[in-house]
Amino acid sequence: MSAAHAASVSAVGDGGPVDARSYASAILNILEDAAVEKARQAATQYAILNILEDAAEEKVRLAGTQRAILNILEDAAEEKARLADTQHAVLNILDDFDIEKKNVEDVNVELRNENARRARVEVALRDATSAAEAASRELETFSYSVSHDLRSPLRAIDGFSQALSEDSADRLDGQGRAYLERIRAGVQRMAQLIDDLLQLAGVTRAEMRYETVDLSALARDVVGELRQVEPGRGVEVLVADGLAGEGDPRLLRVAIANLLGNAWKFTRPREAARIEFGATTQEGTTTYFVRDNGVGFDMTYADKLFGAFQRLHSGAEFEGTGIGLATVRRVIARHGGRTWAAGGVGSGATFSFTLAHGEELPT
Amino acid sequence: MTLTLGSPATKRDILLVEDNPDDVVLTLRALKKNNIVNEVVVATDGAEALDRLFAQGAYAGGTLLPAVVLLDLKLPKIDGLEVLRRLRADPRTKRLPVVILTSSREEQDILRGYNLGANSYVRKPVDFTEFVDAVKNLGLYWLVLNEPPPGT
Repeated sequence: MSAAHAASVSAVGDGGPVDARSYASAILNILEDAAVEKARQAATQYAILNILEDAAEEKVRLAGTQRAILNILEDAAEEKARLADTQHAVLNILDDFDIEKKNVEDVNVELRNENARRARVEVALRDATSAAEAASRELETFSYSVSHDLRSPLRAIDGFSQALSEDSADRLDGQGRAYLERIRAGVQRMAQLIDDLLQLAGVTRAEMRYETVDLSALARDVVGELRQVEPGRGVEVLVADGLAGEGDPRLLRVAIANLLGNAWKFTRPREAARIEFGATTQEGTTTYFVRDNGVGFDMTYADKLFGAFQRLHSGAEFEGTGIGLATVRRVIARHGGRTWAAGGVGSGATFSFTLAHGEELPT
Repeated sequence: MTLTLGSPATKRDILLVEDNPDDVVLTLRALKKNNIVNEVVVATDGAEALDRLFAQGAYAGGTLLPAVVLLDLKLPKIDGLEVLRRLRADPRTKRLPVVILTSSREEQDILRGYNLGANSYVRKPVDFTEFVDAVKNLGLYWLVLNEPPPGT
């Protein structure tokens, strides 16, 4: 541009033929300049194209990078989700752990409580055991003392009542003598009570000696004694053969003597009194029974019968202290067996018992 | 106690060791009712019984041993079983007939009585009539039927 401007300034100054050559030269210059300019422009364009090309490549690269970054971000999101899951899981585990820890603590507390409870139970057990031992010793002393001391005054009452009725017979009328007889009858009841109570206490404290006991022989022996005491009574007694039981012979004798004694007593009003001692076996358990056709009892009182001092009859109807069946139940309980009664008023009674290891004697 | 050595048992004394005065009276009455006329010497506790039998203490100087000792178990000072044990441990009284006559029917008493060498064990019945019978049998056996061991 500056050359074109310079030519214009010369033309205005000179004018003539020289001026025409100068003019052409100027145009050539201008054309030359234009060509240079064009080339420069082409070069520039080329450069720009190159730049654009480079930019396109760069763009592709950028897109790639961007994709890669997106991929990375995507992966990162997945990783994050996984991490979140893991974290969640860890939190859950921690939660569980807390719960578990709480549970363990609870269990520990329970264990401590249980231990404390056990310690208390142990102490209570020791106390109870020593109390039981003390009670047992006391019962021993008591029984011994009763056995020795309680009977002596009775002997005195009885002996001197009789001495009075003998020595002073002439000064006593019928009523006086009757009173003395009542005194003596009272003494006998009292003596019987003492004996029965001692037997009941004895059953509790007696040491068990297990052996196979021939119950048939034992029952026949007891019946023999009953017949000796009341020889006038025609009682039909059936004792099954070969009855045996595992138990303490002395205690079993006490039980069977009481049961047979009861049957003997409560069949007294019967013309044809009948007593049976037998056994049945069901599913390996032997049930022994004493059955009679005596006056029986009201089943309402079936269980009351086995309580100490429980009587269903007045002393005037049937003598007794109400301790016999309590003694029977205790004897059988000490053998691990059961006792029960069945009957009806006027239709006899059946008293049954089991022993823990009942068995038949080999015949 | 005025008997001489070798007297038959029917003439010898009975030593009743009994602390209960009622029982003493009743036993004497039962003996009398059975026409047992032997003299009855009463010792009211175990120590007195031993003094009399061993002729010691208040009874030093001595007398003959009785035909039979009727021994109660529950006694003041020295109880009946201990009296029996000491009698059996001494050669002079080792074979002396001793009958335990007591209220107790406790098995431990009966067993210990026999283990210590009692000749028999009789439980005093509450019924006086039965007691008279028991004394009659005792008298018949120990004073009439039984031959006492020599040297007692």
